[in-house]
Amino acid sequence: MSSVLHMIVHSVNIIILAYFFLINAFYLLFILLSLVGLFRHREYVRFVNFKEVFRFPLVKPISIIAPAYNEEKTIGESVRALLALEYPVFEVIVVNDGSTDRTLDILIESFALEKSKRVFRKVMDHKPVKGIYTSRVHPKLVVVDKVNGKKADALNAGLNISRYPLFCGIDSDSLLEKDGLLKMVRPFLEEPEKTVAAGGIIRLSNGCSIRGGQVEQVRLPRNVLARFQVIEYFRAFLGGRIGMSMLKSMLIVSGAFGLFRKDIALQCGGYRTGTVGEDMDLIVRMRRHLHNMRKPFEIRFVPDPICWTEAPETLKSLSRQRNRWHRGLIETLFYNRIMLFNPRYGVTGLFAMPFYFIFEMLGPFIEVVGYVVFAVCIGIGLINSWFAILFFLFAVVLGTLLSLLSMLLGEYSGRQYPRLQDILVLTMFSLVENIIYRQWLTLVRVAAFIDFYRGKKEWGTIQKKGFAPAG
Amino acid sequence: MSPSSIIITYSLLFLFLVSLCLFGFIVVRRVVLERRQAWFRKVYEQIEKDVLQAISLFDSDFSLEVARKHKAHHEVLIQVLLDFGDIIVGEGKDQLRIIFNHAVKNRCLKRLSPWRTAKRLQSVRLFIIFFDPAESPVLFRLLEDKPIIKLAVINALSRIPSPDTLEYIFRAFETDLGFTVHAYFNIMFGLGNRIEPLVRQSLTKALSTDKLGLLVELIGTIPLRNLHEEVVALAAHPDKEIRVRVARALGKLLIPETAGTLAALSRDEAWEVQAQAVKSLAKIKSREALDILTKALFSPFWYVRYNAGYGLAEMGEEGLERLKQMASQPDDRYARDMSVMVLNDLILPGEAT
Repeated sequence: MSSVLHMIVHSVNIIILAYFFLINAFYLLFILLSLVGLFRHREYVRFVNFKEVFRFPLVKPISIIAPAYNEEKTIGESVRALLALEYPVFEVIVVNDGSTDRTLDILIESFALEKSKRVFRKVMDHKPVKGIYTSRVHPKLVVVDKVNGKKADALNAGLNISRYPLFCGIDSDSLLEKDGLLKMVRPFLEEPEKTVAAGGIIRLSNGCSIRGGQVEQVRLPRNVLARFQVIEYFRAFLGGRIGMSMLKSMLIVSGAFGLFRKDIALQCGGYRTGTVGEDMDLIVRMRRHLHNMRKPFEIRFVPDPICWTEAPETLKSLSRQRNRWHRGLIETLFYNRIMLFNPRYGVTGLFAMPFYFIFEMLGPFIEVVGYVVFAVCIGIGLINSWFAILFFLFAVVLGTLLSLLSMLLGEYSGRQYPRLQDILVLTMFSLVENIIYRQWLTLVRVAAFIDFYRGKKEWGTIQKKGFAPAG
Repeated sequence: MSPSSIIITYSLLFLFLVSLCLFGFIVVRRVVLERRQAWFRKVYEQIEKDVLQAISLFDSDFSLEVARKHKAHHEVLIQVLLDFGDIIVGEGKDQLRIIFNHAVKNRCLKRLSPWRTAKRLQSVRLFIIFFDPAESPVLFRLLEDKPIIKLAVINALSRIPSPDTLEYIFRAFETDLGFTVHAYFNIMFGLGNRIEPLVRQSLTKALSTDKLGLLVELIGTIPLRNLHEEVVALAAHPDKEIRVRVARALGKLLIPETAGTLAALSRDEAWEVQAQAVKSLAKIKSREALDILTKALFSPFWYVRYNAGYGLAEMGEEGLERLKQMASQPDDRYARDMSVMVLNDLILPGEAT
């Protein structure tokens, strides 16, 4: 009996160690690739004047689609920032997705909106539109008021109403840097036929001061949870996404800031409603569609256009957000399971999907099992000292090293934290991120798995404070 | 102390040291960058002052003296020459050329071959700004280089108005396999009417659909009106994309004789071609366009109806009259809604003023 127990524990130990080693090794690879990518990009952009895009006769106009649900605190500032973007031709479509607060009223008052008789081509189904408003002072602005149908439904309505060949999905509580679109459109200019989507960097606006819809001073958040998220965002966007993009395996273009070719999105049926991970789902279906059509394509990550968003600052809000993200991931992998390990889908089927399946979807389970086995072994005196050491090295030391390296990526990216005290604080937070915070997030993701199994489709409201004004 | 405690202690120490080094690295890097920038600014200002004096004195001896004085600060001098070289013309530019030839030319020649793309691009730009026909083989050889260098060379060559360079650009365009529509379009667009004979020549060659489409688009955008017959000849091209571009180009060339071709394209089997043809017909504003656009308002395709609606709005009083008629007709709801929307859109800007 004892030898069987030993064998089981030994096998579980090996699986857990292999998991921790592999996931951290992959992230280390991504970070190293990202460093190379960032260097290359910096060298390239030194000789590129993004404003030259204004002279290019072939530049494609962009429809910015911003779904809004109960965003009364930030909507005015966000829309003003969108309207002030630097780009030759664009329109801003704000979709009020049945808000129960004053979102629509604020929009009507702030931008002198009037009900319009605009008609649109209903390519995709969505909940009924109650009214379309145009502004007397901002010809680029269109506001769609519709019955609540969640984010994907709102985006589909925006897609139907949009007029231009490229569209940029953006969260209405986010702030886009003025030259964000000019930078983001570069891959579409370089390879107009192949590029179907591009993503930019999401940074956290907590702690920063905002003036005129633009981040004026970059500061570290005061909230502890938000500080941990700063490191996470560095690792995810500057490490993970640049690395995945270099391996041609990017499966996520954040819903908060992504630029897409409209024709391809429409061919795929637009955003899938009834899912909470509509951003990842769209990219995966685009990949699937283009692989099926045998068309060469590129999904690129551009490391300098920055979109600022507010991070949740309470445990409840953060757990709701991460629960939703993880359910979105599971749903996307489930709906597109035919692509998993399928050589027909090239690198997507053989690397990207399996990576997300093993390390992102199943990862939390393996981690929890690891922690439980570790605790049980200590409890019953079965602890193998080499397992304990390796577990510590792979899970904690390597994990912390990755967090520290992602700080380096943050330093090489644009708009870094100017104050050295902020860097010092971030360094200290990187040291402790892998203790308690990571384990708590793992539990949240396991709970998300259970919620998915129970069929939960809720988004969950996230408390936001709104942007801090400058001065 | 047990081995596991030693490993854990050393690991924690390692992490602590890494974080210390990281923080130290960031601090040192920032200090170095700030100092370097301050030094660069200071030297730049000194060189800028001397260069400004050189281009206002028109004295070659003084320019030679400036070249000698600042030869050691070649990085900064290169930047100054790049900044001024683009905006200074005439005799002032000759003085800059003297400084370039005597201070940095040899260095730039060497930098054409190292692995750092950024430096190569800088050098290419300088060679183009201070173009000397004797050095053209050096530049033309770079057309065989990697895409970014090649494009920089082509882009830069487009600023030199000689028949030779134009031919090189077109030859590169026709043979380029790593084809970048956007880049070539911008380069050729900048060359204007001068490229007409070369475009005509290229249209007779067997080009890929992408390249052919680019040339058609270019004819419309520049515009090259003398080539309208060549464009009309492509209206029956089997590729839908080419027909769309033909319709668009004709809408930009605005030649009344091409209205018939556009009318035919408005009945094309592809709705994309129909939509573009309807839009272009509205721009030509021919009499027969009114009827075609009114009919297109009843198209089953939204984009065709949309372009027809806004097209009628562009056609003045008569177009507006047609829109009003369509907005009140009871037979087709889609044509009615589109007409109402266009009329509604026309009223709004009026109120805004």
